[in-house]
Amino acid sequence: MGRHSRILAALGLSLGLVAAHPAPGALAQTRGGTLVMVTVPEPPTLASYLSTSGPIGQVVAKVYEGLIDVGPGFEIKPSLAESWSMSDDGLSITFKLRQGVTWHDGKPFTSADVQYGIMNVLREVHPRGGATLKVVESVETPDDHTAVLKLSEPAPYLMVSLNGYESPITAKHLFEGTDPRNNPTANAPIGTGPFKFVEWQKGQYVRLDRNDDYWQEGKPYLDRVVVRFIADASTRTAAIESGEVHYGAFGSIPNIDVPRLADMPEIEVTTKGYEYVAPMMQLQFNTTKAPFDNALVRKAIATAVDRQFVIDNVWFGFGKPATGPIHSAFEPTGLYTTEGVTDFINVDDRIAKANAMLDEAGLARGADGIRFSMIHDLTPYGEEWRRFGEYVKQVLAELGIAAELRYEDVPTWLKRVYTDYDYEMSSNWLYGLPDPVLGVHRQYHSNQIRPGTVFVNGTKWSSPETDALMDAARIENDPAKRAEIYHEFQRKVVDATPIIFMHELEFTTVHNTKVKNAVMGPLGVYHSFADVWLEE
Amino acid sequence: MTGRLALILRRVVQAIPILLAIVIINFLLLKLAPGDAADVLAGEAGSATPEYMAELRAKFGLDQPVPLQLAQYVGRVLMLDFGYSFRHEMPVIDLILARLGPTLILMVTTIVIAVGSGVLLGLLAATGLNTWRDNLISILALVSYATPLFWVGLMLIVVFSINLGWFPTSGMEEVAAFHTGWDRVWDIAHHLVLPAVTLSLFYLALYTRLMRASMLEQAGMDYVVTARAKGLSERRITFRHVLRNALLPVVTMAGVQVSSLIGGSVIVETVFGWPGLGQLAFESLFARDLNLLMGIFLLSAMLVLVVNLAVDILYTFLDPRIEAR
Repeated sequence: MGRHSRILAALGLSLGLVAAHPAPGALAQTRGGTLVMVTVPEPPTLASYLSTSGPIGQVVAKVYEGLIDVGPGFEIKPSLAESWSMSDDGLSITFKLRQGVTWHDGKPFTSADVQYGIMNVLREVHPRGGATLKVVESVETPDDHTAVLKLSEPAPYLMVSLNGYESPITAKHLFEGTDPRNNPTANAPIGTGPFKFVEWQKGQYVRLDRNDDYWQEGKPYLDRVVVRFIADASTRTAAIESGEVHYGAFGSIPNIDVPRLADMPEIEVTTKGYEYVAPMMQLQFNTTKAPFDNALVRKAIATAVDRQFVIDNVWFGFGKPATGPIHSAFEPTGLYTTEGVTDFINVDDRIAKANAMLDEAGLARGADGIRFSMIHDLTPYGEEWRRFGEYVKQVLAELGIAAELRYEDVPTWLKRVYTDYDYEMSSNWLYGLPDPVLGVHRQYHSNQIRPGTVFVNGTKWSSPETDALMDAARIENDPAKRAEIYHEFQRKVVDATPIIFMHELEFTTVHNTKVKNAVMGPLGVYHSFADVWLEE
Repeated sequence: MTGRLALILRRVVQAIPILLAIVIINFLLLKLAPGDAADVLAGEAGSATPEYMAELRAKFGLDQPVPLQLAQYVGRVLMLDFGYSFRHEMPVIDLILARLGPTLILMVTTIVIAVGSGVLLGLLAATGLNTWRDNLISILALVSYATPLFWVGLMLIVVFSINLGWFPTSGMEEVAAFHTGWDRVWDIAHHLVLPAVTLSLFYLALYTRLMRASMLEQAGMDYVVTARAKGLSERRITFRHVLRNALLPVVTMAGVQVSSLIGGSVIVETVFGWPGLGQLAFESLFARDLNLLMGIFLLSAMLVLVVNLAVDILYTFLDPRIEAR
């Protein structure tokens, strides 16, 4: 009896473990099938070396690969590079490249491709590459399968950004001697990835077929990936409901339909797979315009807005209150903290406290009960942003601030916030990206106040202390010291509140239960889909 | 016949300054919109360095003064070069031609269904004036005209795609299969049913009302009394005399609609994921893809001119009293 129950317990335990961690390979994968996914909007081109636009990455991450791959918990895994080592001073990284890899046109992949791709393509024309790869002074190629990156200063953020979505490696023989901005591969990519580009019927679909010569034995499992473009949100929902489409990420299935679909037995919903982009929703101020040049006024509004209310009532429950400039997805790396950071989440009597702060700031109510009037600009990305603006307007009214809402189209709004700085307060959202150097510094550093460049420092706020902290963290290779610097940074920024950190956006990936291994780590839909397979 | 030929020649000559004016006005209007294509591309990318933005603007020619941009554009159009869409990294003409086919398939089917059944229903209603037949048709026409297009489309999807499973929800082809030959034709026809029906319902109502009113107006004319006095049968009066005269306003209306054909229908294309020009124009406006947008505008302006001319000539066949001058 005792023995039996022990065996049963052991069995139960192991079963439980299997259920909790369905390790890839634990289930019998089947080969074949066409995966139909929907991407919105239709990408303008398929040049991920030229634009980081989300829809481009969703499609092309299946075609191009990077030197490394990002696994669960931001683990750096081999991809085109089999192994790597860093010199002690952190100024040189040696990559051993995989042998026997070929481009989709049949030519062999060598270290020359890495050299040309990084130095002549990504560093030159990639929108973030100029900043991320600035430290790479040269790429040396002692032999065909070794590439050595020589750096001007240590760059702790570099490795993670060498993945296939962020830093796709392109073929030298297709780019050499041409302007990478006008390369024919922009509409017909040729990479080393698990899927080959076949055709793009604009307005309809992109067709990617299995790369039979792929370097990972037996992969990919799918015969084909078709990416469809359907402009209407309700139709996308209908298409996934009828089974015509198997997979939709990044809110392509509107949040309003998600709870209903989640209840259907053949559909699964997950909010995983967005850790890499770490999107954060915010209210930002033009800190040069009175009265928002006063930190007390900014903090009063930060106190008054109820983050959980917004998540529950505007974003259909998808989201997590934000505490500061760094996303909680960085918790595993130790960079994230709430210690000593002003807490705007757990506050009682929000409105009373905020009103007291505004009184203290010397903004007395007039005879009509109004302290001042302002215009609140809304992020022009759809309904939820409007609802959010309406909520903020009501909160402001309770503080005696008369707010008018302004909703424009995307180019007009971008120009207003990032070129003309002709705004007082605007909602907005930005990617945190897999390292603060890439996603966070741009909003706070004084050298990021650059008129005409979007999604940089639009608040015009900066301080010598935070500038110094960011400069130090950029080159600090010791994780513990680096974490310490960023903890101080979070305390300083939240104390000044140039931006109200609202919540960490949670996107949903909606997929048919037939699709297995649908999300394989922080990259989510920006992953290569080499491991995805269809049941049946 | 020479009259018609002279008419065509004169209209073609007149068309040139009109088109030129359209190009210039469109260009200036579009330039009034704040923000440019570089802003949009960088906005979608989520981040960009200032050097990258400057490079984009230089590449798009946006760093040049506006009059120079206009002069260059007009110069290219005169050489029948529609320019290059930097957003799509493709020549504008290729983008437009790729969408022209699907647009024509949808719009021609729609116009044929709408005019055909509209004329028939209008005829039926007018010949059975104030009977149950007339009332039923009139009510149907009113309801289908008053119902929003997108709602009709979505309801058809819910009923016929999700619940009954008869038709696909969206798209123009079955993407998992990639049919060829006649299978492909059949597949496209299958995908065409719901969008064409949705769009037809709207126009159909218009033609039904127009045809009915026009028939009734003609029926009270003196020539009908004369025909009846001659002892002609009601059938012959209706088809031989009244119908032909009553068709004139319908042809005018259809002409106007065919002109808007190239614009497609943004709503129906969006709801059914149909790859038409309407959606392309809509997207390029928000992307500030001016070259592409101007190309579409120019093409539709040309079409309006051509169709107007064709309608004028068609009049002369329908009613010999109208002369081509």
